[in-house]
Amino acid sequence: MRVDPYERAWMWASAVMIVAFVATIAYGAVTQSYHPPSHVETIDPKQVWSSPSFQPLGVVERADGSIEVRVIAHMFAFQKPEIEVPAGRRVTFRLSSVDVIHGFQIVGTNANTMVMPGYVSEFTTVFEKPGEYLIVCNEYCGLSHHVMHAKLIVTPRAR
Amino acid sequence: MSVRAMTAPGHESLYSGGMRSWLTTVDHKRIGVLYGISALFYFVVGGVEALIIRLQLASADGTVVGADTFNQLFTMHGTTMVFLVLMPLSAALFNYMIPLMIGARDVAFPRLNAFSFWTFLFGSLLLNLSFLVGNPPDAGWFGYANLTSKQYNPGMGIDFWLLSVQIMGIASIASAVNFTVTILNMRAHGMSLMRMPLFVWMALIVQVLMLLAFPPITVAFIYLMFDRFFGTHFYIPDAGGTPILWQHLFWIFGHPEVYILILPSFGVVSEVLPTFSRKPLFGAPFMIFSGILIGFLGFGVWSHHMFTTGLGAVADTAFSLATMLIAIPTGVKIFNWIATLWGGHIHFKTPLYFAVGMVGLFIIGGLSGIMHASPPVDIQQHDTYFVVAHLHYVFFGGTVFGLFAGIYYWWPKITGRMIGEGLGKLHFWLMFIGMNLTFFPMHFLGMDGMPRRIYTYAADLGWERWNLIATVGAFVIAVSVLVFFVNAVRSVRAGEPAGGDPWDGATLEWTMSSPPPEYNFAIVPVVNSARPFWLHKFGPTRDISTRTREEGTPPQPDTPPERIDLPSPSGWPILAALGLSLVGGGALVGLWLVLVGVAVLVFGVYRWAFQPLERLGHPTFGPAPGGGR
Repeated sequence: MRVDPYERAWMWASAVMIVAFVATIAYGAVTQSYHPPSHVETIDPKQVWSSPSFQPLGVVERADGSIEVRVIAHMFAFQKPEIEVPAGRRVTFRLSSVDVIHGFQIVGTNANTMVMPGYVSEFTTVFEKPGEYLIVCNEYCGLSHHVMHAKLIVTPRAR
Repeated sequence: MSVRAMTAPGHESLYSGGMRSWLTTVDHKRIGVLYGISALFYFVVGGVEALIIRLQLASADGTVVGADTFNQLFTMHGTTMVFLVLMPLSAALFNYMIPLMIGARDVAFPRLNAFSFWTFLFGSLLLNLSFLVGNPPDAGWFGYANLTSKQYNPGMGIDFWLLSVQIMGIASIASAVNFTVTILNMRAHGMSLMRMPLFVWMALIVQVLMLLAFPPITVAFIYLMFDRFFGTHFYIPDAGGTPILWQHLFWIFGHPEVYILILPSFGVVSEVLPTFSRKPLFGAPFMIFSGILIGFLGFGVWSHHMFTTGLGAVADTAFSLATMLIAIPTGVKIFNWIATLWGGHIHFKTPLYFAVGMVGLFIIGGLSGIMHASPPVDIQQHDTYFVVAHLHYVFFGGTVFGLFAGIYYWWPKITGRMIGEGLGKLHFWLMFIGMNLTFFPMHFLGMDGMPRRIYTYAADLGWERWNLIATVGAFVIAVSVLVFFVNAVRSVRAGEPAGGDPWDGATLEWTMSSPPPEYNFAIVPVVNSARPFWLHKFGPTRDISTRTREEGTPPQPDTPPERIDLPSPSGWPILAALGLSLVGGGALVGLWLVLVGVAVLVFGVYRWAFQPLERLGHPTFGPAPGGGR
């Protein structure tokens, strides 16, 4: 079959590019252990309620003095629905979902994450301003998505 | 002698003929009209859905509809506006205008074109059939897994949605192939790629985007179909599947889709502004390359919809950078449009109003888009009404205004009649005011934390005032659309005849009568310029205030000097499309109907493949072949 030289060159160039890209990814994954930095921590959604990493729920003080908040999202509420943390301290939120995707947005801050079933979502933040914050589920999750909210109370820092 | 007298009277016979002639038509112009009427019909349907949504949210604790109905309404509103309104409305203009603008007598595959339209129409009917069954989809137009799984959504709504969107995807891919080939292969002699009108260029980019973006969404839908129909676990976390897969596949399609929706409007504005400023488009090659760059970068930004999914800092940074890069070619376009207007002899006609309105409103939507490109900012705004405001400034302010500019611009060409300037401008102002009243307050609501897709909100949250204003704005938009329909009906009934070239246009579609004859060009033109008709009328000058060509020299003769054969009408494409839709609909009813659908599809395609393009009774024009037999 006669193929135009230009066309032939482009076909070879595309083939070489595809091979090069795939080889790069394979080389990185095998020898350098590169992995996409997504959701490295997985969890069986059926085991979330009994999982030791979510016992007890709510605010926990870690050994290093930082604060960890454990929240489980389910249709259509957050456990626990009221969270109290001190201002000016590093707070690490750890969240998971037992059913569908939920959102966890603390209104007026840039703390906002999706809560995915099968994964633990984690983020760390510091609240400077004491007060009451509204927490909403912003990821559409079904019939009563509109009632799914919680409250965050930031207490003034201890002097 | 007026400009209008230059061309022969319009070929109104283009649209005559009974129902049968419309069902079997393969004429790109008639198919364009069919697309346009369907899209405008669904524009009303999707608009009514939006009005009910706005009524429900007008005050706190609204009770207009129930939560389940509300969820169905916003799902159908999104799906309808994207797949049933904006895409087919662009397709209407592509169908009608591309062959006229490139000097072709039809598209490359006329019967495939008919198949695309009917497949789209049947797919859209299947989607709306879900209303009659009483179970419309309710998982959002983006259908995030695993809310769409059988476990959490056992009804048929999701099945209707995934099957009909897949069917319409086939229509889109077929027409993408068709128009890519048409644009690349069927241009008149002398029309090099860089002489091609900007609208055709943007159309070409859109076709390539459709060709590349629809396969990933098809894969996503097939996984979902397997999950729902055959019990697989692609998106089921309980069984080791992952819902994130859906998000990636959906947005790899979803973001190029944004450019599929906006680039046609960019193309229209790039035609309208030069015509009404009496100046060539400023920096046309830059406009072309910016369009290509937008299309190319559009495939590298999908994860900016997923900054809160938790992909990590590396991915967020990469996608944030790619997203910000898109602002550069988009900015080039906006500055070039402004530079086109600068110093022009501006004729304030309705199409120009809409085109300028589009530029202004799109800038607002573009600016909030750049805000979202930054992950820390996006994380504050993700899934709040701020995003609703942003996307409506892009799709309503950008796409709808741009497409209305196109409708008003080409209305005389399509119908052969002028459309009222007074009502047109009233339409513009009502729509412009209504649009800003509706969507601007949503920025404030979003910053105040109002999440998307909520059915009610409590009175003590302080969201009532802006929501009420938005609802009032939505009804102003509704009135403006009503004004448009009144104007359209008046024009068709008793509009002033338009003549071939009412705007003193620069491109080839104005060289023929309005509406054009079936064969488009009596003589296929030879093109020597990016603005061939201005060259014909004014000679080689940038100053187009005085004509050099003697007025009355028609660019096209009334009757073709040589015989022209057109492809014969065919009923097989509509039959094949019907079969395809029966396969989809049958999946909801039973295996027997799927098999009937397959049989109809195979039979239709078979007869289609073996039908000669030209046979006894196909339309011919011009003198009979010489040396009679």
